[in-house]
Amino acid sequence: MANKGLGEFEELVLLAVCILDGEGYGISVKKEVERHSGRSILLGAVHITLYRLQDKGLLQSKIGGSTVKRGGRSKRFFKITDSGLKHLKAAQEVRQKMWELIPQLKFNM
Amino acid sequence: MENKKNGTPTLANWLASKFLKKTQHEEFLGDLEEIYRERVSRNGKLYARMKYWLDMLHILIGFSVLNPFKTDSAMYGHYLIIAKRNLWRNKVYSLINILSLGIGIGVCLLIAAYVYFELSYDRFHDNLDNTYRVIVEQTKDSGEKGSSPYTAYAFAETAKAEIPEIESFTRVFQADESAIVTDPESEKTINQEAASFLYADGNFLERFDFPLKTGTQESVLSGLYDIVITEEIAEKYFGQRNPVGKDLRIDGGNSSGTYTITGVLEKLPLNSHLKFGFLLPIENFWKQGNGGSVNRYGGWERQWYGTYLTLGSTAEPATVSKKLDGLLLKYEGQVLSENRGVEKTTLQNLGDIHLRSDKYTVPDYAANKGNLLNVRIFTIIAFFILFTAWFNYINLSTARSMHRAKEVGIRKSIGARKKQLVRQFLMESLLVNIIAALFALGLALSALPFLSSIIGKELDYGLFQIPSFWIFFLAVTILGSLLSGLYPAFVLSSFRPIGALAGGKIASLGNLSLRKGLIAFQFVTSLLLIAGTFLVYKQVTFMKNQELGMDMERVVVLKGPTIISDMPEVTDGTNMEQIREAQAFTKTIFDSFKDEIIAHSSISAVTGSRAIPGMSKNISRQDIRKMGEPESVGKYGRSFPIGSGFIETYGLELLAGKSLSEDMAKDEYVIVNEEALKAYGLGSPQDALQEKIMIGSKPRTIAGVVKNFHWQSLRDKHTPYVLRSGGGINVFISAKINTSDIEGSLAHIQKVYDSFYPGNPLDYFFMDDAFNRQYLEDIQFGNLFLGFSLLAILIACIGLFALVSYSANLKTKEVGIRKVLGASTGNLMLLLSKEYLVVLGIAVAFSIPAILYFGKSWLDNYAFRTELGMDLVIVPATVLLLISVLTVSRQTYSTATSNPVDALRPE
Repeated sequence: MANKGLGEFEELVLLAVCILDGEGYGISVKKEVERHSGRSILLGAVHITLYRLQDKGLLQSKIGGSTVKRGGRSKRFFKITDSGLKHLKAAQEVRQKMWELIPQLKFNM
Repeated sequence: MENKKNGTPTLANWLASKFLKKTQHEEFLGDLEEIYRERVSRNGKLYARMKYWLDMLHILIGFSVLNPFKTDSAMYGHYLIIAKRNLWRNKVYSLINILSLGIGIGVCLLIAAYVYFELSYDRFHDNLDNTYRVIVEQTKDSGEKGSSPYTAYAFAETAKAEIPEIESFTRVFQADESAIVTDPESEKTINQEAASFLYADGNFLERFDFPLKTGTQESVLSGLYDIVITEEIAEKYFGQRNPVGKDLRIDGGNSSGTYTITGVLEKLPLNSHLKFGFLLPIENFWKQGNGGSVNRYGGWERQWYGTYLTLGSTAEPATVSKKLDGLLLKYEGQVLSENRGVEKTTLQNLGDIHLRSDKYTVPDYAANKGNLLNVRIFTIIAFFILFTAWFNYINLSTARSMHRAKEVGIRKSIGARKKQLVRQFLMESLLVNIIAALFALGLALSALPFLSSIIGKELDYGLFQIPSFWIFFLAVTILGSLLSGLYPAFVLSSFRPIGALAGGKIASLGNLSLRKGLIAFQFVTSLLLIAGTFLVYKQVTFMKNQELGMDMERVVVLKGPTIISDMPEVTDGTNMEQIREAQAFTKTIFDSFKDEIIAHSSISAVTGSRAIPGMSKNISRQDIRKMGEPESVGKYGRSFPIGSGFIETYGLELLAGKSLSEDMAKDEYVIVNEEALKAYGLGSPQDALQEKIMIGSKPRTIAGVVKNFHWQSLRDKHTPYVLRSGGGINVFISAKINTSDIEGSLAHIQKVYDSFYPGNPLDYFFMDDAFNRQYLEDIQFGNLFLGFSLLAILIACIGLFALVSYSANLKTKEVGIRKVLGASTGNLMLLLSKEYLVVLGIAVAFSIPAILYFGKSWLDNYAFRTELGMDLVIVPATVLLLISVLTVSRQTYSTATSNPVDALRPE
């Protein structure tokens, strides 16, 4: 696993998976990200990212939960792994550190 | 396929089942269906389906075997190396492949450049979206219709004052008389065509984006004698010197005088419907144009001006034109007692002017009008040629595949998977396509000037300057590689290794009927193009050989003088006395000029006129009826004044009555054609001589009746013509020469002209040449067709050749056995080429309805047309048959004459 850090979209997807807490699959993740970021996202992009994150070992998945709405097909639910959580935290820390160094913001606080 | 019931696109699902892994397939289709349902209920079915496709393609690209990001990039380097080696190894084959593809794409690019240029007309104006030209359509009580892009002078001002939606207006008037323009400092004098003078309102340069090189936009046309010239004109007169502030003298034309240059415009874009060299204030024309006679009738007479309106951003053109209709009724109704019927306006967007202006019954000053039909035809041809080229690639690569069988077999047996092989072959296709695309670009860029000269119209490189073109070009190249590469790739990669290695030859290589289908498509394309070429030439020949009802051979036409020395000046345009005096003076000089010209034995007739055959200029469209009939039955006819000698000079054939002679008083007599007899109910030619007709409100006596003549191209129907006696301004002087010593006659004419009209350069041309120039556009159209057909045939032949050599190769053994058993060479050649003759036959059958349909709709543009016979099918079919037999025979002959021992030995 490369330690390259997370892309912005990857981070959003990871966060969405965390929020959904085991209920995250393609569509729910797409909607979650759309709700928070306010932009519209292609379903394919979500799928590709979910799989990439899984390949990196940041997510794990299992099959389950078919409904009539989807023609009886099962979903793939994603869950964050420990490594995934670590990455998220690391990303957050880097940002936090950098935020604190911005002089314009120091005085206003 | 199982998704019929839920409405998701079946094809998309099928693709997914082909390209996605089982586990992902289930999950993704589930997600897609879920979201699809939501979208159907929220945004409707069409939207949902489109989004479904979009998402599906996205996922397919992301996850399928095609995804380049899922494999090690080193692998791709390897594919590339193998692809290069393969291309290099089969140099001739690769060259043929790249050339045919490159030519195909190149032609397509050329056509795209032309189409883009035609579509780009006037798009450079910032105000494009809310600028409209006013079109007026008149419907007479008799139901006759006419439309024109001209309005009266006061129309625009009144409209702006009364209709709040109109933000601003600008009017133009294109001069209708040529003038001599002189730089008084250097005495440089050039006779400038009428079309190069454009009169416009002061805000013209604000409304239209013609950038000024020097001068201030707001004030360049503020003075009555201000003039703006273009860069080219400035160079002609002043070279490197700065022309601003200098004077130019204009003699003759619509308004002579000395003008001060206030600005210089950059070279006008080629794709502008307005073209001019000199821009003058329209107020100048209004106040003192045509000897001051322009404003004599008031602002609501004389529909001469092109009017452009800029509307507010929320205004609806339809609402505005309704209000304009009311305006016309209110103002023109009062002024005009003549029966004009109902006038309705439409607003034509600036962007539509170039391609959608062909229906006006009066000639448009935007003379370089485009032809929407041609643009459409060429777009279709471009696609056909592009597909022909791609199909060729498919045929060539599949035909080559037997040579690759061993390679595939070895690769497979050492563990290559199918998708790796597919990638390998796609890489080759990509490489060939990219090289071909580069070649095509070079070809298109270097051939564009050549294309310009064929179509007789300067083109620019506009297409190649927009970023979206490059994105599109890249996309088409990649799409093309996939389209043309996928089929061969799957055929090649599906060989069974044992078969491929053991026999060295594969019995069934892909679907032969598919490839025959592709060849059939290429044949159909070639047939259509050959038929198109043939039809255009046939029609042009037909028009040239048609009896015109006029004799234009050895008629020389001089441009009339613009300066007449010692002419009494007209100081007041409303003073009829002065105008008459000037006219009488002009006539006296012209009469003696005529006598002097005709004194020479070689010249049999001379006449002066405002109009000449082949041109619609200076012909008015007037409301004419038989005297005694009510106004409402009047019909439009074309009318123009002719001097005496006109009938003789142009050899019009009199059916009854006599030609107009010198002593017939001005304005009272007319000559009509047969069509006019019919239109106005004048009876037989003899009867007509007893009748009078009304032109507007003036009665005229019919002096003679002539046979119908083709004043213009045979595109036009016969129309009623009424030739009035009188002349006045001689825009053209025509002389009939009756000897073969043209040189001598011209020398005589030159001498007389110089002595009567000193200061006027002699400008002449021959009538028959000028008349045939009307068909130039048709001939150019035919030449283009010819060029495209040649290329399409070339590409198709290459494909055919490949296919035949492939199947000849397959049948080597069969041919060997037949030969041993005593078959003749001819027999064997027939055996080998038979199936392609069948394909050709099928192609001919398919193309017949298309040829007849397109041929008919093209010929419908012409009132007088050649008949649409079976020769239109037979000639192209024969041409194609000969060419394909020639292509095929080399290969079949060499196979049929080869030694059967060689063919049978391997076993």
